Amino acid sequence: MAKRTKRKGIGDGGRTLKQMLEDNRRLLRETGCYAGITEPHVLRDDPVKAELFQWRLLSSLISGRQTARMISGSPYVREMAELCMGLYTPEGDNVLQSTGIQVHVRLMGDNVTWMIGNNYEEDVGINEGDLFVANDPVIAGVHSVDVYDIMPIFWEDGLVAWVITVIHEMDCGGVSPGCMPVTAVERGADGLKFCCEKMGTDDKIRRDFEIKIEISLDLAAHFLLDRKSAVASNIRVREEVKNIIREYGVDYFKKATRELIEEERRNQIARIKQRTVPGRYRDVVPLELYMARVPVSWLPAKKDVLRLIPMQMDILPEGRLVLDFDGAGEWGWHSMNVTPKGLWGGLSICIVQALSYDGRGNLGSLLPCEIKTPTVDSILNPSQIKKLATNYPWAPKLDIFSLWCGTLGTAFYMRGFREEVFNCVSSSGWQLAGYDQFGNKRPMQAGGIGNFGGGATGVGDGVDTGAWMATPETDLGNWEVWELFVPQLFMSRILEPYSVGYGRYRSGVAIPSMDMLHRFSEGIGSAAIGCGHDRILPNIGLFGGYPGGKRNTFLVRYHNFEDMIAKRLPLIHEIGNPREFKNQKYADVIYFDYTVGAVEVRDKDLTVADNGSAGGLGDPIERDPALQKADLDTGLTNAEISRNVYCIEARYDEKAKEWKIDEGATKKLREAKRKERLSRGVPVEVWWQTSRQRVLKKNMDPLLIEMYHSSMKLSQKFTQEFKDFWSLPDDFAL
Amino acid sequence: MEYSKQDLKDLYDGKLPWEKVKEIMSRPKDDDRFDKYVEILQERVKWPERILLPIGEHLYIVEKGGERIVKCDCGHEFGDYRRNWKLSALIFARDTREKLEEIYPGVRCPDPNFCEVREYCCPGCASLLKVESVPVGYPIIFDFLPDIDAFYRDWLGRPLSNEKEFKDVSYGVTREWGRQHDRTCR
Repeated sequence: MAKRTKRKGIGDGGRTLKQMLEDNRRLLRETGCYAGITEPHVLRDDPVKAELFQWRLLSSLISGRQTARMISGSPYVREMAELCMGLYTPEGDNVLQSTGIQVHVRLMGDNVTWMIGNNYEEDVGINEGDLFVANDPVIAGVHSVDVYDIMPIFWEDGLVAWVITVIHEMDCGGVSPGCMPVTAVERGADGLKFCCEKMGTDDKIRRDFEIKIEISLDLAAHFLLDRKSAVASNIRVREEVKNIIREYGVDYFKKATRELIEEERRNQIARIKQRTVPGRYRDVVPLELYMARVPVSWLPAKKDVLRLIPMQMDILPEGRLVLDFDGAGEWGWHSMNVTPKGLWGGLSICIVQALSYDGRGNLGSLLPCEIKTPTVDSILNPSQIKKLATNYPWAPKLDIFSLWCGTLGTAFYMRGFREEVFNCVSSSGWQLAGYDQFGNKRPMQAGGIGNFGGGATGVGDGVDTGAWMATPETDLGNWEVWELFVPQLFMSRILEPYSVGYGRYRSGVAIPSMDMLHRFSEGIGSAAIGCGHDRILPNIGLFGGYPGGKRNTFLVRYHNFEDMIAKRLPLIHEIGNPREFKNQKYADVIYFDYTVGAVEVRDKDLTVADNGSAGGLGDPIERDPALQKADLDTGLTNAEISRNVYCIEARYDEKAKEWKIDEGATKKLREAKRKERLSRGVPVEVWWQTSRQRVLKKNMDPLLIEMYHSSMKLSQKFTQEFKDFWSLPDDFAL
Repeated sequence: MEYSKQDLKDLYDGKLPWEKVKEIMSRPKDDDRFDKYVEILQERVKWPERILLPIGEHLYIVEKGGERIVKCDCGHEFGDYRRNWKLSALIFARDTREKLEEIYPGVRCPDPNFCEVREYCCPGCASLLKVESVPVGYPIIFDFLPDIDAFYRDWLGRPLSNEKEFKDVSYGVTREWGRQHDRTCR
């Protein structure tokens, strides 16, 4: 029998990628430094060269991303630019990210490490010009509409890097409404899943892959054009990387790319130590899923469920940051379970906005962070994840990491960096299924979702309408373009004063999206993202500031639309007084206090995504009246809010055409409010006794009891702390 | 990188023009920020105790008689910093639709069957110190327990005297409340 010779690997020095990965991780464990780089010097030896090197790479990624935008036909790409590119080491470790949606800093690379772990090098083959595609959150990702196009970069006969593009797709075959179906329960309902599949060779997409897409998707042309735009962008970056290698030398490239990760790791620790305070930080996210009234394909999914997701962040003296979600309730048959890897996506997108925002963010930004593996069978780590739909982990993740931003903001505040404080919330939107205005059956979702106000900072009011945590660049693009893709008319975008999180500094103001279905023959709709049905406000006010108002999803149906047009009656275009919005004279307002799963919608219906804003900061009655006057003059607030919340008396001066503050009356209102607080408030011990009785007697909504039971079932620590806080007997159970 | 105390005072008071604030946000951070911050705050309070760490708009962890306590700028003291200061505050729980609608009218109002918005005030000056929105029955959140000795020792390089164990002692309070309450009710 002939002796088998060991196959030469495609990695550095003839090693296989698997060997490289194992060596890399071993060195990290042994030294605490990325790739064992204990004494980085390549970049430091010639800082100017290093700077040019880094920015050449970054420029290539940014221009590659722009290339994709020019080729794609999808408004998600062209208008909203929901895409990103990253450069990775052979082991799948992120070196640099382009501008764009940086959720995927680590996740894109996790697909590569998965391929390496599954021996793609021998079993599938990794060659110059190969095109891989992935979108399965069970491997690594957020949800299946985020599609990764993965391309190896070879130099001579060795693999030196990977370039990866992620694009949010309008359709990947999920059971609509929309491209991110809320009611999906089982894996198949998510649509097509690509498990790091080789979709092409020699820089060309295989015809059999194209045929599969053409047969499977309603929006096949958009999907395939996105692949082509990603492949073109990847080729562009690959060739520029080769130019850079020619210029700098392959040895410098290999060492410098790794040092970029190690230097960022060190910088991140330095930032944590410079800007925060070590200690324990806590908060909680309630996840609300009201599916009992929603049509679903799987009976166990047809129920209302609340789940707690407690969050603890420990900032350790060594400058590490540890996230622990102990106490998270159980997983369920719904689309909002999160994978442990998916949590990294939430952390990635926040960390590049809160700490690593100098364009150098990469895997090193995340190396000082740890996410403790959530308890098995919690909502953050379902053991049956392969059977589950995974299209909506955004709902809990946005709330978790929006709160996390605020928690980190607390640390910044205590250290004196008040200008860095901010937080976010999740938002709502509408998705549709049916025939568009051109008669084509397809899922539909427009991009105007992230239109709520960001949290207050420690030095000023929050950003109005521009706080979409999922991408640092909130820009939905031209709305007229979305009207071409979805049979709806843009009715209005009016700032909604009651959406605000009040405080000494207020949050930004949200704009409800109001769109009228137009030339929409038949179909159904559902909510999107956070789904806008919360009965519990997110705990997002800071230091006396309030959380923004409740997020809502409405469907408005006119009694007789044609008659209204004939009589020139005004169409609905703003929320107005929130006490009266539900009582429209010429229309029925369907107000959902449950998850909007799949409801019948009709032509001329008005879909309303009424987002609440993030949190205010500080005591509202300490708000500078000058700030409030400016808000009154620009219509961002009104006299009622001024008086009731801020205790500022103001009147409109018709002659001067501006608001005037009555300082005397304001002073009296504020003094009265302080007296009221002292008379209404009770010592916490008194309140605690009453509330404890309520807990002891289990005098709570059954959904809440089940929610606590679920967390207690999975966590002894949560159970003990719950009992300790309420001083409950050891045998107490919910 | 450093800024004058006056610039920082103006920053904190919201008096800096946005262009300057943006510049401060975009530039590398100033290493002496914490010391200047504490100096500014110390000058603004009327009491003599040394501020160790500001923990909110009005609250500070201060050094007093060898102990570390939470103190409001009005002078009201909340006790050991390792015990959740909220336990010593006044609370107003918005747990009915009527109370919630004072802040969140109409469709902005959460459901009081599920949500409780708790307002914690200083018993001394009635400042609103924290608004907490949680599911009904959820324990009061201890938002932040600093590892203050590690902070001064390892990060600032000037250890504090009288090191304290880094430990949450809040549950001792609530367990004691329970014992007292059960005795009274018996």
